[in-house]
Amino acid sequence: MNEIPINLVVEDSLSEAVLRKLLEVSGKRFAVGACYGHGGFGYIKSRIMGFNNAAKGTPFLVLTDLDKSDCPPVLINEWFSGQKNHNLIFRIAVREVESWLLADRNGFAKFIRIRETLIPADVENIGDPKQFLIDLVRKSPKTTLKNDIIPRERSTAKTGPNYNGRLVDFVYHGWNIRTAQRNSHSLDKTVAALSKFIPV
Amino acid sequence: MIISYIKLVNWRNFRLAETEMGPRVFIVGPNACGKSNFLDVFRFLRDIAKPGGGLQKAVNDRGGISKIRSLSARRYPDVEIEIHLAEKPEQEPVWKYAIGIKQDVRGFRKPYLVYERVWKGNEQILNRPDSDDEKDKERLTQTHLEQINANERFRDIHRFFVSILYLHLVPQLLRFPEAFAGPNMSDDPFGRNFLERVTKTPEKTRKARLKKIEEVLRKAVPQLKELKHVKDEMGIPHLEAVYEHWRPKAGKQREDQFSDGTLRLIGFFWSLLEGESLLLLEEPELSLNAGIVQKLAPIIHKLQKQRKRQVIVSTHSFDLLSDKGIGGEEVILLTPSHEGTKVQLASSILEVWDLLESGMSIGEAALPRTAPSNIHQLEFVFK
Repeated sequence: MNEIPINLVVEDSLSEAVLRKLLEVSGKRFAVGACYGHGGFGYIKSRIMGFNNAAKGTPFLVLTDLDKSDCPPVLINEWFSGQKNHNLIFRIAVREVESWLLADRNGFAKFIRIRETLIPADVENIGDPKQFLIDLVRKSPKTTLKNDIIPRERSTAKTGPNYNGRLVDFVYHGWNIRTAQRNSHSLDKTVAALSKFIPV
Repeated sequence: MIISYIKLVNWRNFRLAETEMGPRVFIVGPNACGKSNFLDVFRFLRDIAKPGGGLQKAVNDRGGISKIRSLSARRYPDVEIEIHLAEKPEQEPVWKYAIGIKQDVRGFRKPYLVYERVWKGNEQILNRPDSDDEKDKERLTQTHLEQINANERFRDIHRFFVSILYLHLVPQLLRFPEAFAGPNMSDDPFGRNFLERVTKTPEKTRKARLKKIEEVLRKAVPQLKELKHVKDEMGIPHLEAVYEHWRPKAGKQREDQFSDGTLRLIGFFWSLLEGESLLLLEEPELSLNAGIVQKLAPIIHKLQKQRKRQVIVSTHSFDLLSDKGIGGEEVILLTPSHEGTKVQLASSILEVWDLLESGMSIGEAALPRTAPSNIHQLEFVFK
């Protein structure tokens, strides 16, 4: 089977890692070209029609967080007004990509060494997954991990100094997508979309 | 005149590369893809043509043919360079110059010409090796380009190459030239003798240029005023400026107290104002604040337009390329591969074209393509 060239559009390096991992296990041979974005949600929103336009040639895979929006169909309607290119795979993590990591409850609990039951099964209903994840890590016995992920006291930073680095490591080396799929509908649909995808 | 086209065979990172070029060119690509080596072709041609230069010196200064030749070269180990000169972009070239170089297999291992060809318009006026070269092989160790009595019919090319300017100002070298022992490099590419260059400029021109630069500095470094060229009691030249602070009487500062950014800005503007020939700038964004870097591309345009000169810039800077006035046809993308570095105009890549069309800057549309393919694994190195 031929390789499918594909470009990524992401909010940050964590969502980039998640997409790369998903493509790796998709059962199809994707060849990742360039990775655009890294400017958060606002950047993707402001440029989405550009990527949609460029997807005429090479397929693009876009991942964004639902955050506070109501539900995925509303967001898609708002962004594309019905003109989404077939080659633009547009996926939304409910509510944030962190929820997808937490969805592998067993794996994530092992990674930070806490009890699995501290992570709820319906991860898509966690309102602020990033904050939830940081609070979970506070319960971890691993000091170096806590230093990396939890923002320092009195800091204006929202995350620790190596938040993405640590979680990216988990994505590549600890995250079980099959388990996570069962707890996250949006992840499950993304996995399905990638395994079905045929570029035009 | 501008270089409107270049073709390289087996030159350093480039096994086979060719591209068109306009008056303003930005070279982008990942680390170690050959941006500096691309600029070095133009310096190489200058080194052949300039007085005291020549093919032998230009090759030897670079460590011999084996250092110049592409590592991916295989069956055809000749190094080849072809250049077209046109009056304006997209016009037919007025001159074409092409050389092929090889190295002696035995003996002194001297570099020698495989060929040297010159066209004026469409008419070929030089085609070496000629009958004289056949009689005396030693002649092939020199180009006609470097010999005043042999390049008479294409003196324009000679002049163009000789006047090519390169600057990659290293502030520490300029501040403490004496701390870096060793012979000066020819043409002072790193600005060690930059102050001498300023001193040797006729006074009127020098004052005019410094005044212009001071105007810019006032906007970029508001504390600095009255940039002047002075000589100390030993007769050594200095740049001096008044540095304003809370004391009513502002203090004077000399170049050894200027910040890296200030020195680089001075060097950048000086070289843009100096001469009318092709200017090569290496990463002009270094040490500069993002706000200034965003203005560099339009400034280059403005200053080159007045002098009708070509400027080739290598850069890594997203800010520099965020200017929406930069076209995809002005950006050359270098992409490393097993078969040497690929050279493409950004506008020739469909995907980049589509992104530009939707209103993205060239930085947004093209720079992500220059990220190394495994950069997302960088974080794992320090686990």
